[in-house]
Amino acid sequence: MAKMNLAKAVKDFWYGKPHTAEEGGRRLGDLYEDKTGLLKHREWRGVKDTFYYMYNIWGYNYVHMVLDILKYSNNPIDFLKGTLRYRWMGQTYLPVIHWFERGLQGMRGEALAASAWHYRAMVSASIHQICNFFNADTRLHGGKQNNAYKHTFYANETTCGTLFYPWMDAGYQYIPMEMIPYFVTCHVNSHTVLNYIDAVQSLGLPGDPCPMCQAESGLFVLDDVPDSAPLIITCNEACDASVSTHTLQDWFANKPLFALPLPMQFDDPLVKKYCMNEIEECWKFIEEQTGVPFSWESMKKRLERQNKLQRDEWEKWEVASKTDYYPINGVAQALFRIYSTQYGIQGDFWEEASEKVKKIMYKCVEKKINPFPQTRHRVIAWSCAPLYYSNWCTWAYNCWGLNVIINMDSLMFDMEIRTDSYENMLEDMATYHMWAPMRRMAVGGMHHIFELWDYMKRFNCDMVAMYDQLQCKGMQGVHGLFEDEFRKRNINAFWMPHALPDCRTVSRAEIRRQINDYMTTVMHEEPLDPSLLDFDDSMTW
Amino acid sequence: MKDLKHLIFFEKLLQEANNDLVKQGKADGNRAIGYTCYFMPEVLLDLPGCFSVRLRAPGCTSPDIATYYLSGRVCHYARSLLERALEGGYNFLDAQMGTETCTATCRFQEHIQQKHLDSVDDMRIIDNDDFFCTFTDIPFKNTENSYQHFETQLRAHVLEPLHEHFGIDISDETLLKTIEDHNEVCRLINEIGDYRKLDNPTITGYEFHVIQLVSLACPKYLILPYLRETAEEMKTREPDQKKNFRCKVVLAGSENDDPDFTKLVESCGALVVCDRFCYGAVESRIPIEVKEGQSPLRAIAEHYLKTSNCPRFMPQDEMRARKKRLADLAKEYHADGIIIASNKFCEYWSYERVIDTFILKRDYGIPVCSIEKEYINSASGQLRTRFQAFVESIEIKQIQEGN
Repeated sequence: MAKMNLAKAVKDFWYGKPHTAEEGGRRLGDLYEDKTGLLKHREWRGVKDTFYYMYNIWGYNYVHMVLDILKYSNNPIDFLKGTLRYRWMGQTYLPVIHWFERGLQGMRGEALAASAWHYRAMVSASIHQICNFFNADTRLHGGKQNNAYKHTFYANETTCGTLFYPWMDAGYQYIPMEMIPYFVTCHVNSHTVLNYIDAVQSLGLPGDPCPMCQAESGLFVLDDVPDSAPLIITCNEACDASVSTHTLQDWFANKPLFALPLPMQFDDPLVKKYCMNEIEECWKFIEEQTGVPFSWESMKKRLERQNKLQRDEWEKWEVASKTDYYPINGVAQALFRIYSTQYGIQGDFWEEASEKVKKIMYKCVEKKINPFPQTRHRVIAWSCAPLYYSNWCTWAYNCWGLNVIINMDSLMFDMEIRTDSYENMLEDMATYHMWAPMRRMAVGGMHHIFELWDYMKRFNCDMVAMYDQLQCKGMQGVHGLFEDEFRKRNINAFWMPHALPDCRTVSRAEIRRQINDYMTTVMHEEPLDPSLLDFDDSMTW
Repeated sequence: MKDLKHLIFFEKLLQEANNDLVKQGKADGNRAIGYTCYFMPEVLLDLPGCFSVRLRAPGCTSPDIATYYLSGRVCHYARSLLERALEGGYNFLDAQMGTETCTATCRFQEHIQQKHLDSVDDMRIIDNDDFFCTFTDIPFKNTENSYQHFETQLRAHVLEPLHEHFGIDISDETLLKTIEDHNEVCRLINEIGDYRKLDNPTITGYEFHVIQLVSLACPKYLILPYLRETAEEMKTREPDQKKNFRCKVVLAGSENDDPDFTKLVESCGALVVCDRFCYGAVESRIPIEVKEGQSPLRAIAEHYLKTSNCPRFMPQDEMRARKKRLADLAKEYHADGIIIASNKFCEYWSYERVIDTFILKRDYGIPVCSIEKEYINSASGQLRTRFQAFVESIEIKQIQEGN
């Protein structure tokens, strides 16, 4: 008996403990300090993966976070000043690695390596943006509008970066105003954003509009957006609240502003010409403001890189849909996709990560390695995800074997943009912008949101995780029809209530409880790791 | 003041969407065309052979089945419309001219639309074999590109379907004649409404709200004689000797088709002298002008974009001009303050209300009462308290200023 125990201990040490309870599992939930979400000690993933995590992920990323600052910042002192000036910066820079921990918990081998590369690219892109912010911020330069300021475009975060490619050869940068202060910080530290939501509500805004838009407005109310650009481009993605947010932002920012409205009924062939004209109007505005003409070469060069990235994604989706060898977990897949498409081609971090991930993926295909061997259900996640719990997919796999293969937001922007002529490019740009995140499925006719059934088939999924963003009027407006269709089609689907960035409305524990209830009472399944069923992480980042 | 001769009749017409005049319009062989938003030009739906009905759901306080479909977190107005549709209250409609101008009403209209798709079942909510629903894409700007786009959309998604389905004459000549008829309604409503500008107005906000609503909810050719008679009656109407209000206000904000809400405001001492809200008369009763050489459809497209004060308009100059327009209205109607009311869950007006509350007070010195309301809420004691406090604050301000 003792010999057997010793053999098991040696095996556990070398390979890490097995996943399931039946095999004497690893009980990841026992690692948590109550309430804090902090770990009592690091997870032992076996010799190879533990050291891989330590050196290739933990150490590598900390070192590169410093190197990236040196690479992208004009003056590292500005970075320090910005960290002290802006709440969203000071509260999120150090917990980044904990964000890695949450997303990569329990991952092994190829899944660990591939998912981490996606995270790495996002960190690098974030530092790139932060440095662009601080390089140009008049508040950090004694009110002076320096050269970086004059070469920066501001846009609201749902305006796609593709729009600004024509000026990048001339040294211009595009910064989505709220992407770092709001979107990225939500993932890293879920508490930071609450302050901004409260700020705008203190002006009298009711609590029911989309909390993402509330937070975006709150940043301006608290004067917590750097003053880094002389102009702003806004657009009407993705909803009524988003349009209204710009009205409020305009009053606070008080800069020349161009509104780029995109048609709602995008299936209608008659709207395309209108949309193309609007895009050209936007470019004209930029030309007038900067005095720098539109550059076709600059545009084309970056669009071709972007198209390559899109083809890479299609390759990944092909493997994900047809095999069990796709090595990227749900959260890494989703965040990489939405971040890279929205920010566009600035720097080479997306392409580098994509190449590395593809290499790992093809290794899995060739050697028939299943990176998620405990998969019980292939899940498609639909609607918009809780930003404060984007890593729920990691938990769901570890606890229940729910493997999130694809999600709705990843399927936006699902096209290449032709570069053979200006006319074709413009036509595709119109479609591309109308297919933006939270827009492609949510507007332009109810049938788009019910494309879920086609995507379930395409990605070979047998279960739906239905995000239930409580303050999204568009998605709330199809709630009953989804219920009807799930029943009629006999589809396994669970609802996940949440409030996008606001963890006070529905806690992470409540989200887990809803899934647990569904898995036990409807699916009659036992958890793979019972220690993860119930724990309190309310105070964690 | 002496009661208006047709007021009770008008009030009765507002008790249900399928009212007596709508029934008569249908019996005359006309098609009833529903719509919800100002951006759907009612004048196009009033072409000979059809008539416009701006949808309302009076008395719908508990939209239970609609709440299953739209959830309890979507605006009460959209839920009430769906509930009324599910009850069969809109089966008289022959078509719905949809707009994706706000998410909630868009979802309502998508529910009643027959989709003919594999992805989601048709609900056949409107039990009428002729019924169809089309959507028109509405621009967010006042630019040449927007006017062209809107004109194209109106032709493709309003005029042509009306012609194809019901054989409606959509020629320029007929459009011009319909614009004339529409403008007569506008002229009469404005004539009646202008009495609110008097020092001691001879019409209350409630009465005007009722009159404006019947002009939206009934066939124009049937309501016109009553409007003409009312306009005549107004010429000799005497005000009460003693003013029975304590201050005058502009009522602005989101969707409001409940005259009892106006009555509630007025019962607190604030006379509503101007109605700048969805379903109000400020924009919708500006006559349409067709310039020389301009096609009538183009004139209509321009008119509805130029006259709208919807917070949906995105350009910087539009966003800022809206505040000035509101301040100008207060001046024109000699109002002492502005009440900004947004429907609960209305995202556009939630934000607009916040900004208006600050800007109008700070930049124009106009007192503002900012409230959030439900679709049907005449019995709200809380609102009564808010309005009373607002009236008192205006009175105190006037005393302090020595007026």
